[in-house]
Amino acid sequence: MNKELYFDDVEIGDDIGPVERTVNVEQVVRFLSVHQGRDIGTNRFTSEEAAQKEGLPGAIVPGAMNIAMMSTLLTGWSDTARLKKLDVVFRGMVPHNKTLKLAGIVTDKDVVDGEARLECDVFLENDEGTRLIIGNAIVLLPQR
Amino acid sequence: MTTDDDIKYDRSLLGVSNPLGQFQVTAQMILDFSESCGETNPVHSDEAKAKESEFGSLIAPPTFCNVFVNGLSRPDIKLEFGDIGFFAGQAIESLAPIRPGDTLNASTKLKEVYAKTGRSGKMVFAVWETSFSNQNDEDVARVQESYVRRNSRKK
Repeated sequence: MNKELYFDDVEIGDDIGPVERTVNVEQVVRFLSVHQGRDIGTNRFTSEEAAQKEGLPGAIVPGAMNIAMMSTLLTGWSDTARLKKLDVVFRGMVPHNKTLKLAGIVTDKDVVDGEARLECDVFLENDEGTRLIIGNAIVLLPQR
Repeated sequence: MTTDDDIKYDRSLLGVSNPLGQFQVTAQMILDFSESCGETNPVHSDEAKAKESEFGSLIAPPTFCNVFVNGLSRPDIKLEFGDIGFFAGQAIESLAPIRPGDTLNASTKLKEVYAKTGRSGKMVFAVWETSFSNQNDEDVARVQESYVRRNSRKK
Protein backbone atom coordinates (compact mmCIF):
# COMPACT_ATOMS: atom_id res chain seq x y z
CA MET A 1 0.00 0.00 0.00
CA ASN A 2 1.16 3.56 -0.72
CA LYS A 3 0.97 5.27 2.65
CA GLU A 4 0.22 8.69 1.23
CA LEU A 5 -0.82 8.95 -2.38
CA TYR A 6 -1.70 12.36 -3.81
CA PHE A 7 -3.86 13.29 -6.78
CA ASP A 8 -0.90 15.09 -8.33
CA ASP A 9 1.16 11.86 -8.32
CA VAL A 10 -1.35 9.80 -10.33
CA GLU A 11 -1.46 9.67 -14.11
CA ILE A 12 -4.16 8.39 -16.44
CA GLY A 13 -3.21 4.83 -17.31
CA ASP A 14 -1.69 4.05 -13.90
CA ASP A 15 -2.36 0.52 -12.71
CA ILE A 16 -4.11 -0.25 -9.43
CA GLY A 17 -3.11 -3.60 -8.01
CA PRO A 18 -3.22 -6.39 -8.93
CA VAL A 19 -4.18 -7.97 -5.65
CA GLU A 20 -4.73 -11.70 -5.24
CA ARG A 21 -7.41 -13.09 -2.96
CA THR A 22 -8.83 -16.46 -1.99
CA VAL A 23 -12.12 -16.62 -0.11
CA ASN A 24 -12.97 -19.52 2.21
CA VAL A 25 -16.20 -20.43 3.94
CA GLU A 26 -15.06 -19.03 7.30
CA GLN A 27 -14.59 -15.58 5.75
CA VAL A 28 -18.02 -15.78 4.12
CA VAL A 29 -19.67 -16.77 7.40
CA ARG A 30 -17.94 -13.89 9.18
CA PHE A 31 -19.05 -11.46 6.47
CA LEU A 32 -22.66 -12.61 6.58
CA SER A 33 -22.60 -12.59 10.39
CA VAL A 34 -21.95 -8.84 10.53
CA HIS A 35 -25.66 -8.18 10.22
CA GLN A 36 -27.35 -11.58 10.32
CA GLY A 37 -25.61 -12.90 13.44
CA ARG A 38 -23.85 -16.22 13.74
CA ASP A 39 -26.95 -18.29 13.01
CA ILE A 40 -26.95 -17.86 9.25
CA GLY A 41 -27.72 -21.51 8.42
CA THR A 42 -26.61 -23.32 5.31
CA ASN A 43 -27.14 -21.93 1.88
CA ARG A 44 -25.38 -21.54 -1.48
CA PHE A 45 -22.88 -19.17 0.14
CA THR A 46 -21.88 -21.38 3.06
CA SER A 47 -22.40 -24.98 1.95
CA GLU A 48 -21.08 -26.99 -0.99
CA GLU A 49 -24.02 -29.35 -0.67
CA ALA A 50 -26.64 -26.57 -0.62
CA ALA A 51 -25.00 -24.96 -3.65
CA GLN A 52 -24.91 -28.23 -5.57
CA LYS A 53 -28.61 -28.80 -4.83
CA GLU A 54 -29.22 -25.51 -6.67
CA GLY A 55 -27.24 -26.76 -9.64
CA LEU A 56 -24.08 -24.82 -8.87
CA PRO A 57 -20.68 -26.52 -9.00
CA GLY A 58 -19.91 -25.40 -5.45
CA ALA A 59 -20.40 -22.72 -2.84
CA ILE A 60 -20.14 -19.15 -4.10
CA VAL A 61 -19.13 -15.82 -2.61
CA PRO A 62 -22.08 -13.46 -1.93
CA GLY A 63 -22.38 -10.50 -4.29
CA ALA A 64 -22.15 -8.08 -1.36
CA MET A 65 -18.83 -9.61 -0.33
CA ASN A 66 -17.52 -9.46 -3.88
CA ILE A 67 -18.25 -5.76 -4.15
CA ALA A 68 -16.65 -5.27 -0.72
CA MET A 69 -13.48 -6.95 -1.99
CA MET A 70 -13.55 -4.77 -5.11
CA SER A 71 -13.76 -1.80 -2.77
CA THR A 72 -10.66 -2.94 -0.84
CA LEU A 73 -8.64 -2.86 -4.05
CA LEU A 74 -9.21 0.91 -4.07
CA THR A 75 -9.20 1.72 -0.35
CA GLY A 76 -6.11 -0.46 0.02
CA TRP A 77 -4.31 1.41 -2.76
CA SER A 78 -3.33 4.11 -0.27
CA ASP A 79 -4.22 5.24 3.25
CA THR A 80 -5.33 8.51 1.64
CA ALA A 81 -7.69 6.96 -0.97
CA ARG A 82 -11.40 7.50 -0.37
CA LEU A 83 -13.89 5.57 -2.48
CA LYS A 84 -16.81 7.76 -3.51
CA LYS A 85 -18.64 5.46 -5.91
CA LEU A 86 -18.33 1.90 -7.12
CA ASP A 87 -20.51 0.56 -9.93
CA VAL A 88 -20.13 -3.10 -10.90
CA VAL A 89 -21.67 -5.65 -13.24
CA PHE A 90 -21.74 -9.30 -12.22
CA ARG A 91 -20.87 -11.56 -15.15
CA GLY A 92 -20.15 -14.83 -13.40
CA MET A 93 -20.30 -16.53 -10.03
CA VAL A 94 -17.28 -16.24 -7.76
CA PRO A 95 -16.24 -19.60 -6.24
CA HIS A 96 -14.72 -20.33 -2.83
CA ASN A 97 -11.09 -21.42 -2.47
CA LYS A 98 -9.90 -20.27 -5.90
CA THR A 99 -7.31 -17.62 -6.59
CA LEU A 100 -8.97 -14.37 -7.62
CA LYS A 101 -7.22 -11.38 -9.13
CA LEU A 102 -8.47 -7.86 -8.54
CA ALA A 103 -7.02 -5.00 -10.52
CA GLY A 104 -7.83 -1.63 -11.99
CA ILE A 105 -6.57 1.24 -14.10
CA VAL A 106 -6.98 5.00 -13.85
CA THR A 107 -9.02 6.20 -16.84
CA ASP A 108 -9.51 9.89 -16.03
CA LYS A 109 -8.69 12.54 -13.44
CA ASP A 110 -10.35 15.84 -12.72
CA VAL A 111 -11.21 18.28 -9.95
CA VAL A 112 -14.99 18.52 -9.56
CA ASP A 113 -16.63 20.77 -6.98
CA GLY A 114 -13.34 21.01 -5.14
CA GLU A 115 -12.91 17.23 -5.03
CA ALA A 116 -9.85 15.72 -6.70
CA ARG A 117 -11.39 12.71 -8.44
CA LEU A 118 -9.98 9.75 -10.28
CA GLU A 119 -12.13 7.58 -12.51
CA CYS A 120 -11.01 3.98 -12.62
CA ASP A 121 -11.97 0.75 -14.37
CA VAL A 122 -11.81 -2.27 -12.09
CA PHE A 123 -12.28 -6.02 -12.46
CA LEU A 124 -12.16 -9.30 -10.60
CA GLU A 125 -11.06 -12.35 -12.57
CA ASN A 126 -10.62 -16.04 -11.85
CA ASP A 127 -7.46 -18.10 -12.29
CA GLU A 128 -8.40 -18.76 -15.94
CA GLY A 129 -8.44 -15.06 -16.70
CA THR A 130 -12.22 -14.83 -17.00
CA ARG A 131 -13.55 -11.54 -15.72
CA LEU A 132 -16.34 -12.37 -13.29
CA ILE A 133 -16.99 -8.79 -12.21
CA ILE A 134 -16.24 -5.58 -14.06
CA GLY A 135 -16.97 -2.02 -13.09
CA ASN A 136 -15.86 1.52 -12.61
CA ALA A 137 -15.17 3.68 -9.61
CA ILE A 138 -14.63 7.24 -8.47
CA VAL A 139 -11.77 7.61 -5.99
CA LEU A 140 -10.89 10.80 -4.13
CA LEU A 141 -7.31 11.69 -3.27
CA PRO A 142 -5.86 14.72 -1.48
CA GLN A 143 -4.00 17.35 -3.48
CA ARG A 144 -0.51 18.52 -2.52
CA MET B 1 -39.67 -2.78 -32.07
CA THR B 2 -40.09 -2.94 -28.31
CA THR B 3 -40.46 0.13 -26.19
CA ASP B 4 -40.39 0.37 -22.43
CA ASP B 5 -44.12 1.13 -22.61
CA ASP B 6 -44.65 -2.48 -23.73
CA ILE B 7 -43.22 -3.94 -20.53
CA LYS B 8 -45.96 -5.21 -18.26
CA TYR B 9 -45.40 -4.75 -14.52
CA ASP B 10 -46.99 -2.99 -11.58
CA ARG B 11 -46.21 0.61 -12.48
CA SER B 12 -47.84 1.89 -9.28
CA LEU B 13 -44.62 0.86 -7.47
CA LEU B 14 -42.40 3.20 -9.48
CA GLY B 15 -40.79 5.82 -7.26
CA VAL B 16 -42.75 4.79 -4.15
CA SER B 17 -40.55 4.77 -1.06
CA ASN B 18 -40.72 1.64 1.11
CA PRO B 19 -39.25 2.01 4.62
CA LEU B 20 -36.90 -0.82 5.53
CA GLY B 21 -36.34 0.05 9.16
CA GLN B 22 -33.46 1.12 11.35
CA PHE B 23 -30.01 -0.39 11.64
CA GLN B 24 -27.53 0.18 14.46
CA VAL B 25 -23.85 0.46 13.59
CA THR B 26 -21.19 -0.65 16.06
CA ALA B 27 -17.41 -0.52 15.95
CA GLN B 28 -17.34 -4.31 16.12
CA MET B 29 -19.55 -4.59 13.02
CA ILE B 30 -17.21 -2.28 11.12
CA LEU B 31 -14.13 -4.21 12.26
CA ASP B 32 -15.72 -7.60 11.46
CA PHE B 33 -16.81 -6.38 8.03
CA SER B 34 -13.32 -5.03 7.34
CA GLU B 35 -11.54 -8.17 8.44
CA SER B 36 -13.82 -10.53 6.51
CA CYS B 37 -13.31 -8.74 3.19
CA GLY B 38 -9.63 -7.90 3.62
CA GLU B 39 -9.99 -4.18 4.24
CA THR B 40 -6.63 -2.69 5.27
CA ASN B 41 -7.19 1.07 5.12
CA PRO B 42 -6.76 2.17 8.75
CA VAL B 43 -9.77 4.49 8.75
CA HIS B 44 -11.89 1.34 8.30
CA SER B 45 -9.84 -1.26 10.15
CA ASP B 46 -7.77 0.29 12.96
CA GLU B 47 -9.55 2.24 15.70
CA ALA B 48 -6.39 3.88 17.06
CA LYS B 49 -5.11 5.08 13.68
CA ALA B 50 -8.61 6.11 12.57
CA LYS B 51 -8.80 8.47 15.56
CA GLU B 52 -5.76 10.29 14.20
CA SER B 53 -7.29 10.62 10.71
CA GLU B 54 -9.34 13.52 9.35
CA PHE B 55 -12.47 11.62 10.46
CA GLY B 56 -11.45 11.41 14.12
CA SER B 57 -12.91 7.92 14.48
CA LEU B 58 -13.35 4.62 12.75
CA ILE B 59 -15.67 4.91 9.75
CA ALA B 60 -17.47 2.15 7.88
CA PRO B 61 -15.99 0.90 4.59
CA PRO B 62 -17.70 2.30 1.48
CA THR B 63 -19.83 -0.78 0.78
CA PHE B 64 -20.76 -1.45 4.41
CA CYS B 65 -24.48 -0.66 3.90
CA ASN B 66 -24.67 -3.70 1.67
CA VAL B 67 -24.91 -5.93 4.72
CA PHE B 68 -28.33 -4.40 5.38
CA VAL B 69 -29.46 -4.57 1.75
CA ASN B 70 -28.49 -8.22 1.39
CA GLY B 71 -31.54 -10.47 1.47
CA LEU B 72 -34.14 -7.71 1.64
CA SER B 73 -37.60 -8.63 0.53
CA ARG B 74 -39.14 -6.08 -1.76
CA PRO B 75 -42.61 -5.72 -3.24
CA ASP B 76 -43.32 -7.99 -6.21
CA ILE B 77 -43.40 -5.81 -9.33
CA LYS B 78 -45.40 -8.53 -11.15
CA LEU B 79 -43.19 -8.35 -14.20
CA GLU B 80 -44.72 -10.30 -17.07
CA PHE B 81 -41.57 -11.23 -18.91
CA GLY B 82 -38.99 -13.99 -18.99
CA ASP B 83 -38.60 -17.26 -17.15
CA ILE B 84 -35.23 -16.74 -15.49
CA GLY B 85 -33.84 -13.89 -13.46
CA PHE B 86 -30.55 -12.94 -11.90
CA PHE B 87 -28.70 -10.18 -10.09
CA ALA B 88 -27.03 -8.05 -12.76
CA GLY B 89 -25.14 -5.31 -10.98
CA GLN B 90 -24.84 -2.82 -8.21
CA ALA B 91 -23.69 0.74 -7.67
CA ILE B 92 -22.80 2.08 -4.24
CA GLU B 93 -22.23 5.72 -3.52
CA SER B 94 -20.73 7.00 -0.26
CA LEU B 95 -22.28 10.33 0.65
CA ALA B 96 -21.04 10.87 4.21
CA PRO B 97 -19.05 8.91 6.82
CA ILE B 98 -20.85 6.17 8.76
CA ARG B 99 -19.53 5.93 12.32
CA PRO B 100 -19.91 3.57 15.28
CA GLY B 101 -23.03 4.52 17.23
CA ASP B 102 -24.90 5.73 14.15
CA THR B 103 -28.51 4.69 13.64
CA LEU B 104 -29.26 4.32 9.96
CA ASN B 105 -32.70 4.62 8.44
CA ALA B 106 -33.19 2.88 5.13
CA SER B 107 -35.82 3.08 2.45
CA THR B 108 -36.02 1.54 -0.98
CA LYS B 109 -37.88 2.36 -4.17
CA LEU B 110 -38.27 0.96 -7.64
CA LYS B 111 -36.30 3.46 -9.70
CA GLU B 112 -36.84 2.22 -13.23
CA VAL B 113 -37.73 -0.72 -15.42
CA TYR B 114 -36.36 -0.87 -18.93
CA ALA B 115 -35.72 -3.28 -21.78
CA LYS B 116 -32.50 -3.94 -23.62
CA THR B 117 -31.70 -6.35 -26.42
CA GLY B 118 -28.42 -8.24 -26.21
CA ARG B 119 -26.88 -11.28 -27.89
CA SER B 120 -29.17 -13.55 -25.92
CA GLY B 121 -32.26 -11.57 -26.93
CA LYS B 122 -34.46 -9.18 -25.05
CA MET B 123 -33.83 -8.59 -21.36
CA VAL B 124 -35.81 -6.51 -18.89
CA PHE B 125 -33.99 -4.74 -16.07
CA ALA B 126 -35.57 -3.62 -12.80
CA VAL B 127 -33.50 -1.13 -10.82
CA TRP B 128 -34.06 -0.63 -7.07
CA GLU B 129 -32.52 2.26 -5.19
CA THR B 130 -31.98 2.04 -1.44
CA SER B 131 -31.08 5.16 0.51
CA PHE B 132 -29.53 5.33 3.97
CA SER B 133 -29.61 8.34 6.26
CA ASN B 134 -28.24 8.73 9.77
CA GLN B 135 -29.85 9.93 13.01
CA ASN B 136 -29.21 13.54 11.91
CA ASP B 137 -31.17 13.00 8.66
CA GLU B 138 -27.93 13.22 6.73
CA ASP B 139 -27.81 11.03 3.62
CA VAL B 140 -24.88 8.64 4.05
CA ALA B 141 -25.16 6.07 1.26
CA ARG B 142 -27.12 5.16 -1.83
CA VAL B 143 -27.23 1.64 -3.28
CA GLN B 144 -28.65 0.81 -6.70
CA GLU B 145 -29.26 -2.82 -7.59
CA SER B 146 -30.19 -4.14 -11.03
CA TYR B 147 -32.05 -7.37 -11.57
CA VAL B 148 -32.58 -8.78 -15.03
CA ARG B 149 -35.14 -11.18 -16.45
CA ARG B 150 -34.95 -12.92 -19.79
CA ASN B 151 -36.21 -16.00 -21.55
CA SER B 152 -34.11 -19.14 -21.20
CA ARG B 153 -32.72 -20.68 -24.38
CA LYS B 154 -34.24 -24.11 -23.83
CA LYS B 155 -37.18 -23.56 -26.23
